[in-house]
Parts: sequence; C-alpha cells; structure tokens
Amino acid sequence: MTVGIEYYVLLSMALFSIGLFGVLTRRNALLFLMSVELMLNAANINLVAFAFYHGNLSGQVFALFAMALAAAEVAVGLGIILVLYRNFRDVDVTVPTTMRW
Amino acid sequence: MEGVFDFAPAIALFPLVAFVVALAFGKHMPKKGALAGIIATAGSLVLSVLMLAAVAIGEEGYYHETLYEWTAGEAASQVGAEGISFTFGILIDPLAALMLVIVSLVAFLVHVFSLGYMNDEGETGLPRYYAGLGLFTFSMLAFVYADNLLMAFMFFELVGLCSFLLIGFWFRTRSAPSAAKKAFLVTRFGDYFFLVGVVAIAATFGTLQFAGDDSFVVAAQTAIDGGDELFGFDAQTWVTITGLLVLGGVMGKSAQFPLHTWLPDAMEGPTTVSALIHAATMVAAGVYLVARMFGYYALSPTTLAIIAFIGGFTALFAATMGVVKDDIKQVLAYSTISQYGFMMLGLGVGGYVAGVFHLMNHAFFKALLFLGAGAVIVIMHHEQDMWKMGGLKDKAPVTYYTFLAGALALAGIIPFSGFWSKDEILYDALIVGLEEPVIMAAYAMGLVAVFFTGFYTFRMVFLTFHGEPRSETAENPHPVGWSIKAPLIVLGVLALVAGAANLAPVAKLANVDITFLQSWLEGGVGDATYAAYSETLFSGDDPVYNTDYIGTEETTVLVAAGLSLLLAFSGAGVAWKLYNVPEPVRHKERLGSVRETLESNYYQDEYQVWLAEGLTLPLARAADRFDQTAIDGVVNGTSTASLLGSERMTRLQTGLVTNYAALLVAGFIGLLLLLGISGGWFL
Repeated sequence: MTVGIEYYVLLSMALFSIGLFGVLTRRNALLFLMSVELMLNAANINLVAFAFYHGNLSGQVFALFAMALAAAEVAVGLGIILVLYRNFRDVDVTVPTTMRW
Repeated sequence: MEGVFDFAPAIALFPLVAFVVALAFGKHMPKKGALAGIIATAGSLVLSVLMLAAVAIGEEGYYHETLYEWTAGEAASQVGAEGISFTFGILIDPLAALMLVIVSLVAFLVHVFSLGYMNDEGETGLPRYYAGLGLFTFSMLAFVYADNLLMAFMFFELVGLCSFLLIGFWFRTRSAPSAAKKAFLVTRFGDYFFLVGVVAIAATFGTLQFAGDDSFVVAAQTAIDGGDELFGFDAQTWVTITGLLVLGGVMGKSAQFPLHTWLPDAMEGPTTVSALIHAATMVAAGVYLVARMFGYYALSPTTLAIIAFIGGFTALFAATMGVVKDDIKQVLAYSTISQYGFMMLGLGVGGYVAGVFHLMNHAFFKALLFLGAGAVIVIMHHEQDMWKMGGLKDKAPVTYYTFLAGALALAGIIPFSGFWSKDEILYDALIVGLEEPVIMAAYAMGLVAVFFTGFYTFRMVFLTFHGEPRSETAENPHPVGWSIKAPLIVLGVLALVAGAANLAPVAKLANVDITFLQSWLEGGVGDATYAAYSETLFSGDDPVYNTDYIGTEETTVLVAAGLSLLLAFSGAGVAWKLYNVPEPVRHKERLGSVRETLESNYYQDEYQVWLAEGLTLPLARAADRFDQTAIDGVVNGTSTASLLGSERMTRLQTGLVTNYAALLVAGFIGLLLLLGISGGWFL
C-alpha cells in the first residue's frame, strides 16, 4: 500500500504550522527551540517524501544534513538559553529587549 | 652701514617686548612698566635714525626683504601671474624711514610725558596703559615698514584694536567704553571696504607687493598700458574701483568725512593717548597708506580727484566745528580732522611731497599741542573747559611758549613748520585747480579752512593762557615736572624748525636747491618714488594733471603764500580781537542757530544714529526674521522630519524574537502573494 504524496505534504504543512504557531505565541525559550525543531522536521518530511516520490536519494541525504544541523542548532540555542537564564533569571524571550537599536 | 638693515625687525619688536613685559611684570616694576616702554621706544628711535642714515648713504637707497612666507599657491589672477604668496616683509625706503623716525620719536616722547601725566597723577591700571602704548607703537611701526598690502592691512587692524584698548582705558566710566566702541566700529566700517579692496587687488594682479617689479602698482600700470579688461571693466576703471575700496579704510582711520565722527569722542582716552593717536599712529596710518601706495592712486585721476575733494571738504568742515568747542581737547580733535583733510587734499592733487611734509610737521606740532593740553590739564587739576582757565601764561611759561609754537605752526604762521607744508599743499592745489574745476573747489575749501584754523587755534591759546584767571584752580596752578616739560621743549623746537626740511616757496623764488625732503623722496625703489609719481602725474605722455600759473611761477607762489598767510593772520587777528581781553565773553552766542548746528557737529551723530536705527535696524530685523523662519525653517524642518521618521522606524525594533519571526513570516507570505499574483496563480 502506497500513501499518496499529498498526505506527506499535508502532514508537513501541519507540522510547520504548529511549529510556527509555537514560535509566534510562546514566550518560553525552550518551547521556542522545540517549535523550531518541529518546523525543521516538517522540512525533513518534505525532503524525504519528495526523494521517495522521484526515486532520487539526494533529498534523503539533505534530510540527514538537516538533522545534523538541527542538532548543532540546538546546541547553540541551549547555550543561548543558558546565558539568557544566567543574565535574566528567566527563560522568557520577551524579557531581554535591551539589545534593540 | 648696509649691515644695519639686519636689525630692521627689531624696530617694531622692541615695543612688542615692552608690551609683554609691561603686561606680565608691570605691576612689580618701578614706574609700572613705563621704563620698559621708554627703553624700547628709545631703542626703536635709535634704530630708526640708523635706518634713515643707512638709506641716505647706502648705495641702493632702500632695503626690501621678505622675512616670512605664510602660504603660497597658484593664482587665478586676471593679469596672468601664475603664483601668489602671502608674506611678511620689510620695505624701508625714504618714505618709510622718515615715518619710522617720526613714529618712534613721538612714541618715545609720549612715554616720557606719561611719567608726569599718568604716574604722578596716581592713576591705577598703569601696566595696562603702558602695555597698550607698547602694542600701539609696535603695530604702527610694523605697519609703516610693511612691504605688502596684506601685512599692512593686518597691522592696520591691530592699530584699530589698540585705539579701542586705549580710548577705553578708563573703562569704569560710561563714556570711555562707549567712545572706544564707537572708534572701533566706525573705523572697522571703513576697513570692510579696505579688506574687499585687498582681496580684489590680490585676485586681479596676483601680488600684493607695494614696490618692486612684481608689485601690483607695476602690474596695474602694465594692464592699463596694454588696454586689458579686468573683471569686465577696463583696467583704469578697475584700478579706480579697487583704489576707492582701499580708500574706505583710509577714510575710517584718518577720520575723513563722513567717517570722522569717532575722533572727537576718542578724547575720552588719556590725553597722552590722544597725542599718540593723532600725531603718529592711528590717524596718520590712513594718510600714510595713501602715500605708501601713491603710485597706484596716481594711475587713476578719478580717485585722486575724489581724495582731493574729500580732503578739502573735511578740512573746512572740521575747522568750522572747532570754532565753537569749549573743551581744549575737542578743539584739538577737530583740528586733527581738519589737518588730515589738508594732507588728503595735498596727496589728491599730486602734491606727494607736500602731503608727506605736512604729515611730518603735523606729527610734531599736533603731538606738541596735545601734550601741551595734557600739561594744561595737569596744571588745572583735570579741568578741560577753557572758560575756566585763563591767565596761565605767566604761571606756566614753558607750557605756554611751547604751546604757542605749536599753535603758530598749526595756524600756518610763517616761519613755523605748519606754514611751509600747508602752503605747499595749497600751492599744489592751486596750480592744478587752475586747470580742473573740481580741484579748484577743493582748493577754495582748503583756503577758507585756513582762516578758521587761525581763528580756533588762537581762540584756544587766548582763552587758555591769556586774560585773567577765571577759576580758583587757574589762580593756583599745579606745578609740572621735567618729564612733562622735556618732551614739550623737544617738540616745540621741532615745530619751529621742521619746516626747514622743505622750503619750497623760497627755493622757487630764490632759485636755490633747499627742498631737502623732495630730493629725499625722489630716491627709493624704482617705481615707488616721487620722481616716478611726478612723471606719471605731470609730465608723461598723457599726464593726469596739467598745471597752470597765474602769470609766472613766481607770482603764483607769492599769491598762494600771500593768500593763505593773509587768511591765517586774519583768523588769528579776529581771535586776538575777540578773546585777548582780560574778561572774554562767549561771542558764539551771537551766532544764533548756526551755533546750534556747529555745536551739534552738523548733527552728524544724529543722522548716523538715524541711519543705524531707522534704516539698518529694520533691515537687520527683516534679515533676522528671514533667517529665523525661512533658512532655519528649512534646516529645522529637515531635521524634524528625519527625527520623526527615525522615531517611527525604531518602533519596529522591539527586541522581541517573536515579533521578528512574525515580521519574517508576514514578509514571506507577502512576498509569496506578490509573486503569486504577478505569476498569475489566482487568475
């Protein structure tokens, strides 16, 4: 049984939208990171699905790269969050606004 | 002897050092800085005399050297000079050497006199006074031997500053600071024209040198001969325009009509300062400048005629005002204006020697008269009203006889120095005037002024020294010391004998060669000599002035001398008749409304105040309003707009990651929609 490509795209869209919703509405930096992960994975799903659909492996390779990048991004992000917490005693992203202009 | 020229800069530097010393250490020195000034001016005097001797016996007959170059660059001149440089240089030719001696001598005597006038009277602020005198002497000496117009302009301005400092010496009174400001502003008004003239000459000829082959005088001569066009005018007209611009500065400093109003007010300064200003520095500077660049004026008959006319008019105009003054210094002030008018008249009619001669004689006898007035003021316990004096003749004989010598010279009574120079001016004006009606008018005014000069001079002498004492102080005069008497005696002798320098009428009548000053001024640098000027003016291919005689030259000399002597004697005679009585009365009451006009100086101040308040002030207000609204409006509007814009723009910067993400997404969606619509997705 083969699942149609449109379902993958729909799933990906749903995941991306959930992630975007999280980024736009949440104030907790950790939830932020998770939402970003969701959006990245939405992209990964697309990559893998289209690679399978076209019978070309490069999409899957790119998905692997994206995962590695995501891991790196999380490492950096967590570092930022740690610094954020150390400086502001909070992980609320609306608190540190002193860097503007 | 040529080596002595190496010390030329020291002539001006001595007083500068005295200025610094008096300012820095004057308080702790005996005599409060006077000694420094006396030593410095004595040094300048000795060096000046040495310069005079070196010029006289040297082979070249002059000294010209550039000492320092400010800056040099390419010139965009009209006559094709490639480079222009602004320099400090020294030019000691016969004219400058003569003037150096006059200035340093008068400055030296004024310093000595100040010991009696200022120190003995227990003035405060003496270091400031002596510093001012030193700076004044320095500026004037440097001005005298400046070799280019820019340097001359700088020291001309410095002279003006010094007059401001010294006229306002008694700054705690109300009148002195006001007079100082007036002197500064009125002369500055003339100097604006001078500055424009300097720039114009520099831009036209690419040089500012007074003398030598690369001088602007030579360049102007070449341009006129070549029929060049300068800034859209023909060369002659342009020379006239620039000459008149420079003349603006001359009229301010030398107190020529209508910029003379500052000078009577300047009597608020110490009398010694008045002597220095009137005889040798500030007021002399203007006339000296005309003599210095006489070659340039000689190229333009129009300018010369204007100079002559202004001079003749000023001579008469100021003399009439001197007639009614009661303050001894005021009479002398108007006399100064009048005498400088004579000098301008002399220079304007091409009587270069006569003008310089009168400048020299006037320096001696006017310094003498002012110092004499200073002595009288000391004698009278600082009373200046002549109606409260009288009878001082026997009580202060030295002051009387020296003052009388000065008065005789001023009135132009033979054989005192003033007669010879004034007569020469009038003679030169007469012979040119016989051909030119404008000059004739100037000559007539000068001639009438001689009568008034005789009258007010002897009115002053009789009121001050003759008759019965009219106040208690006049009966018990304050004695004066040697430091007051000595300068008076020196100047008194000079007022008597200085005329011997150029006995032109005698020379013409007896046909002997005794015009020493004339032969002295014939030497010097190439085109800047009397010989070159008279060539241009009277005997070239196309002479500026033609001369004529009444009959023969001898009769003309006799008529001119006789007329001026007759008028001088009748002026003095009228004064003798009216005022040489034991109890003189105020005859001017009989003049009625004329007296009003004369006493208010022809309402010159009033009309100038009206000009300032009625015309200039509204104009300035309008300009200010335009500046505040239109100009500043544009500037402020621009800044307000950008400030407001930036303030709105910074609202975008919240520092919240969420907002940025939302903007990012919104932007992305917007872009997508845009691309979609333009790509035709929704059609």
